[in-house]
Parts: sequence; C-alpha cells; structure tokens
Amino acid sequence: MTDFNVSVREIGSVNVIDLKGYLDAHTAPELENAFDKLIKENRYSIVVNFTDLAYISSAGLGVFMAFVETMRENEGDIKFSNMTENVFNIFDLLGFPMLYEFFKEETEAIQKYNEKVKS
Amino acid sequence: MGFSLLNIPSIKKLENTIFLAVILLVFKILFPESELFIVSFVTDLLVIAILYFGSLYAKELFPIKMTGIISVILNNGILNALLFFILAISSVVMPSKPSFSQTNLIYIFITTILNLAFAVAVLFIFNTKRELFFLKQKKDPKFFFNTMLVFALLTALSTNLHHNFESLEFMSNAFSVVTIILIIINSLKVSWIAFLLKRQKISLLIISIVLSAIFITNASFLMMESEFVSHMIINFSPALHTFSWLLMVYGAIYYAVIFFTTLFHLPTAEAFDRKAEEVSSLMDLSKLITQVFDFKELADTVTDLTIKVSNSDAAWLITEKDGSYELSSVKNIGYVEAEKISEDFRTNNPNELLDISTVNLNSLKFSLKNDVVTSSYKILAVAPLKVHKNTNGFLYVVRTSNLRFDEDDKKAITAFADYAAVALENALLLERSIEKERLEKELDVAREIQNKILPRTTPEVNNLEISSLFVPAFEVGGDYYDFFKLKNNKMGFVIADVSGKGIQAAFIMAEVKGIFGSLARIIESPKELLIKANEILIESLAKNSFVTAIYGIIDFNTNKMKFARAGHMPLLFCREETIKQYIPQGLGLGLNNGSTFINTLEENEIDLEDEDVIVLYTDGITEAKNASNRDFGDSRFEKLICENRQNSVDKITSEIMKAVSLFSKNNNQHDDITLVVFKLKNNHNNKFGVN
Repeated sequence: MTDFNVSVREIGSVNVIDLKGYLDAHTAPELENAFDKLIKENRYSIVVNFTDLAYISSAGLGVFMAFVETMRENEGDIKFSNMTENVFNIFDLLGFPMLYEFFKEETEAIQKYNEKVKS
Repeated sequence: MGFSLLNIPSIKKLENTIFLAVILLVFKILFPESELFIVSFVTDLLVIAILYFGSLYAKELFPIKMTGIISVILNNGILNALLFFILAISSVVMPSKPSFSQTNLIYIFITTILNLAFAVAVLFIFNTKRELFFLKQKKDPKFFFNTMLVFALLTALSTNLHHNFESLEFMSNAFSVVTIILIIINSLKVSWIAFLLKRQKISLLIISIVLSAIFITNASFLMMESEFVSHMIINFSPALHTFSWLLMVYGAIYYAVIFFTTLFHLPTAEAFDRKAEEVSSLMDLSKLITQVFDFKELADTVTDLTIKVSNSDAAWLITEKDGSYELSSVKNIGYVEAEKISEDFRTNNPNELLDISTVNLNSLKFSLKNDVVTSSYKILAVAPLKVHKNTNGFLYVVRTSNLRFDEDDKKAITAFADYAAVALENALLLERSIEKERLEKELDVAREIQNKILPRTTPEVNNLEISSLFVPAFEVGGDYYDFFKLKNNKMGFVIADVSGKGIQAAFIMAEVKGIFGSLARIIESPKELLIKANEILIESLAKNSFVTAIYGIIDFNTNKMKFARAGHMPLLFCREETIKQYIPQGLGLGLNNGSTFINTLEENEIDLEDEDVIVLYTDGITEAKNASNRDFGDSRFEKLICENRQNSVDKITSEIMKAVSLFSKNNNQHDDITLVVFKLKNNHNNKFGVN
C-alpha cells in the first residue's frame, strides 16, 4: 500500500497538492494529514493536481468532502485540475462538478484564485 | 582391574564388599598368625579388593554437585577430625604394644572390625577426593588418577614385602616416591575453585587450611608405627596402613594446594561473581522474553538488572515513537530528573546514537540549578535499543560516584539494551496482532450486518424476472440493494453503495436500509424520496462519507419505470441490440445539504417493453481488476449484457459473474460486487392466457 504519494507545493498564495498512485481507504489518511497540516498553517487555497493519480476510491473522495467546508469558511477552496478521464468520470458520476471547480490545467486553477484576490 | 565390574548394579557392589569383608574375617580367624608373609599378603589383597568394591559402591552413593561442594569438603574434614581424635586419644590411652596374645580370637575379631571401620573411613575420604578431582575437568584426567592409584597400590603391597624381606625396602621406597610425585601433580587440578562464589571461596580458604593441618597430623600419626592404631593396622594389613598413609599425604598436599589457589583467587573473586551474575541475569532475561509479553514488566526487569550488574545507582528506559520520547521503568531516580538528564543528552548529542556512549554529567548545564533540586548523579551511560538497525529507544544508566563505566560495564549495559529492544519490538508486534485481530472481529460483525440487511429472496412479480447477486469483498464494502412491493401493482427498487469499508460502512448501510424501507412506503416519486433520504442522511453521516444510490419504481399497470440517481453508477438499459446508460443528474447522498442537491436532481422515466433488460450494479464489477491492474470496464460489461439479453436473468447474472471472476482471477476482490437484473416478461402471461 505504499504506491501512493502526496506532496505540497506553494505557488504564491496557492498551495498545490500533487497526488500520485492509488488513493483508497488505506492511503486516504496520508492525504488527510497533508490537509491537516495546511490548515494548521492557515493555508486554505488549494489546488489538487491529479496528473499522476491512477485511482481514487470513495474513501479518497471523502477526504475532499471532509475539508472543503473549512477551506471555504476561510475564503479558500479546493479546486481540482489535470484529471485523467477515468478519474474525472468517478467525480462526475457523483456530481462533484456541481460542487467543486474542475480545471484542465493547474495554472487555470491558480489563476482563478488570483483573479479572485484582485477583485 | 576388570572394568566390566563397573557395570555391576550398585546393590551387587555392596554385596561383594560385604562378602569380601566376611571372607576377610573368616580368613583372619582361621589364620591368626599375621607374622607369616603369605597370610598378610592375602589379607592385603582382600583389603584392596574390599576397598575397590567399596569405592565402586560409594561412587554412586555420593555424587558431588557444585552447589554443595563446601559441605562435602566440610564433612570430609569432620571425618578426618574424628580420625585424628581417635588416633590422638588412642596414642595417649592405649599402650603401644598390646600385652595380650595377638592370636586371641576376640582380639582378632575386634581388630578386624576396627580395621574394616577404618577402611570405610578411608574409603569415604578417598571417594571425596576422587569426586573433587574429576570436578569441572574439561579433559579426561582418568589416566593420571588411575596411574596414581596403581602406584599407591604397588606401594601398599610392596610394604608387606619390605616388612618381611629387608632387602626389598628400596622397592617400596621407590613406589612411594613415584606415588607422591603423582599426588602432587594430581593435586594441582583444582580449577573448580574458580567457579565458587566469593563467599564460598572465603569459607573454603579456612576449611582447607584446617583440613590440610589435620591431614598432616593424621599422616604423621600413621607414620609412627609404634602408635596403637598404627600398630594395629600394620599388624592387620600393611597395605591398608600404607594406603591410608598415602591418602593422608594426598589430603595434606591437596588441601594445601586448595588453600593457596583459593588465596590467589580471592582478589578476582568479586569480578568473577559479577560476571557470573551478569551471565545468569541475561539467561533469566532471555527466558522472560519468551514468556512475558508485557513490555512494562520486562522493562522493569531490564532496568533492575542493569543497575545490579553495571554497579549503577539508577536507570530508566526511553522509548521513541514517531519522534516523541517517553520515559518508562524509571528506577531509583525522580521522573523529572530523569527526563531532564535525557533531554540534555539529546540536545547535546543530536546525531543518531549508534553505540553506547558515556557522558560526564558535571559538564552538563542544568536549568534545575536555580531550583532546590540538584542532580546527585555524576556520570551517565546511554545505550540505544536497536533491532534490525532501527533504534526504538534508549537505556539510560547513571552513577552517583565519579567512577567511570569500564568496558565490561558498557558491554553489560549494551547487552541489556539489546534485550530491552527485543522486548519492545515483541510488545509492538503483539499490539499490532491484537489490533489486527480486533479488526478481523469487526469485519466479522460487519459481514453479519450486511448478511442480515440484504434481501434473502427476490420478490415474485408476475411480469418481471428478477435476479440479484452479491459477492462480498474481504473488507466489507457497504453495498446494499432491496425491493419493495408497493400498492397499486408497483414495485420499488434500490441499489446503494456506502463510501468506505468495514464496520463503519456496515452501520451506515443498516441506516440506509431503514431510510429506504420506510420512505418507499410513503413517497411515490423517486426524486422526492432521494431528496428526503439526503436530508436524513446528511444529519448522521460523517463529513467524509456519502452514499450513492439509484431508487426507482416500476408501475406494472402502465409499464413505466421512473427512477432517480444520487451519484450512483449508471442504470443500464438493453432493448434488442442496443444498450444505453441512463445517467440522470444527481449528487451523491450526503454531499450537499441544501438546494444544490434538490435543484440538480433529475428523474427519468422509461416506457418498458417486453424483453427489456435493466441492469443495476455497483462499481465492484466495472472496477474489478486483473493481474495487470486493468479495470473490467464499462464496455466489456455492456457487451456481455447485450450478448446474454435473451437468456434468463439468472443466466445473465451468472454469465457476468463468471466473466468478472475469470477476468480478475489473479487479483484480489477489492470491493463488494452487486448486480441486479430485471427482465420484462409482459406478454408472458398473455401468451399463456391465449393458449
């Protein structure tokens, strides 16, 4: 169950989480830890980059649900980018696009945050 | 000597000895004339035979153990002292040459008995000597001992010759010189002294000097042929006399050697004791490790023994877990002080500790100094607890004196640290296996819940064939499906998948069943029902869990099917050769508590025709993986349905399941698999009705 990896990058005021491998019930706690750490450091503007994510289970989806409220309450958000079609389909079936913002490219998501700051 | 005699049973040896003694007595009575050479020679032989068999018997009677060695020597000493007493008293009280006739029957009888008694005493002393000699000998020293014995016997026998033939004196002299040389050589084999405790060595020192003195006096008493006892024995059997004398000489030399050896061993006695204690404590510990799994108990033993063996004043253990440190088994020192010392050591030695390290505590600055408490400990040793190159803790040992930890102390502490490491590792493994067992129990409960929740049978409906299939995964996945017979010839159906796994999912599943079971009877619109279900579930679901579901109603009067989807897998609909995914918009239950859920939820309606196949499923099917981790996938699934659409619903489900298990045979089933297949048989009844 080591074939999952979370890493966080800071791009300006936006924090990009890169996911790699399989996100399921066993690996979800790693992502939870990463979110907890970000919240502790008052970093609420998140972009999750799915480029290298191969699989996501319901437990993995639950992680975003658990943290999105906190982010939004603090004028931040969780935005998704660079999803493969397979992974997007899972999000889509659940209706995530009606609740979250999805972007083709990470930069678009970051830009969205920055526009908001300007306005 | 016939060594095969050694195998005689002990009772036989005793019998032989007594038998020979009786023969000796009879012989002496028959031939009282001891001046005759042949008579005394036969007596000698008989006495030697008695001694031989007696010693064989005695050998089995008194095996010496290392623990009782001092008392054995002490007994030997008491017997010798008794002999000494008799010799001394008799030399004073009795005349050196008896006045009455030596051929008197009573005299002969008494002297024989006395001599035999003396022989028994000699035997006992001899036996002790022999046992001591063979004690703790690594190489087989039989040769030296036996050679000595042979020469002693030769000396004994030759005495008789020289009593009778003056010219042969040189022979007995020569033999006795050789015997005494051999005695000296054999006396040097006293390595067992090293294994005694210091206390035992001190008592041995005193006993051995006393014993040596007694042996010397006894030997000199026996030397004086004019003494009563001495005279009596010589008269009886010159060999016994010589043998006894040699034994006394052996004793004198042997105990003198013991005395000096012990004396030289005394200075190292303490170090030896400590080493012995270290070895025995380590042995105790290794026993404990296999028997006790409670880390606390083992850790207490480790710190206790470490203090004892390393001559320290206090010790404690620190366990490391995820970068935080915890003190345990703190012995002879305050908790705060121990923590302070450990903290200071860590800050001063930030690098990973690979081996035992000692530190002078005087050089450490204590923030406690303003306080009343000042550390009385002067020197510290820290050893890492290592298992497979991983350090999972540290053993701290301190001394109040300035005495440095020497190499031996360090070795001992390291050894104990190693044991503590193993114990800690064992405890962790045990904890993990208990946790694993607990999880397995939980899974059993979850499976049971799931088993009770799912419908046992599919309902009998006139116009509809229904088949359902459920294959649970090892970790209960939280799949749920159900059918509800509604009024007005309608049937409700639901398929749902709870996020997450295990007991948590099982509990939510139970709740979901309750919600759908009750709502199905009240609400006749799938959309309304899902909205209500979402409202209820959002209250009870954890933030990170959700439920996907499809709820639908088939009206057999109008042959219409209405359904709504809350984030669930598509509903598959196969008519003739075309298969269609129905994915009406809808969020998963528990994702959103407000208007978004309501506003986005769609409801679909399909007019049903005969032979239409409707398939509901959970992602366990499409996400079933093969050996190379590829999904079973939608298209494969849909194609199978199409191909089998003309079969019975049971055949359709079994064909699909067959294909899925064949596909994923080299991979584990990760998720529950649920499959529900409906097939409309609208004209079925009509046809039969016509006929």
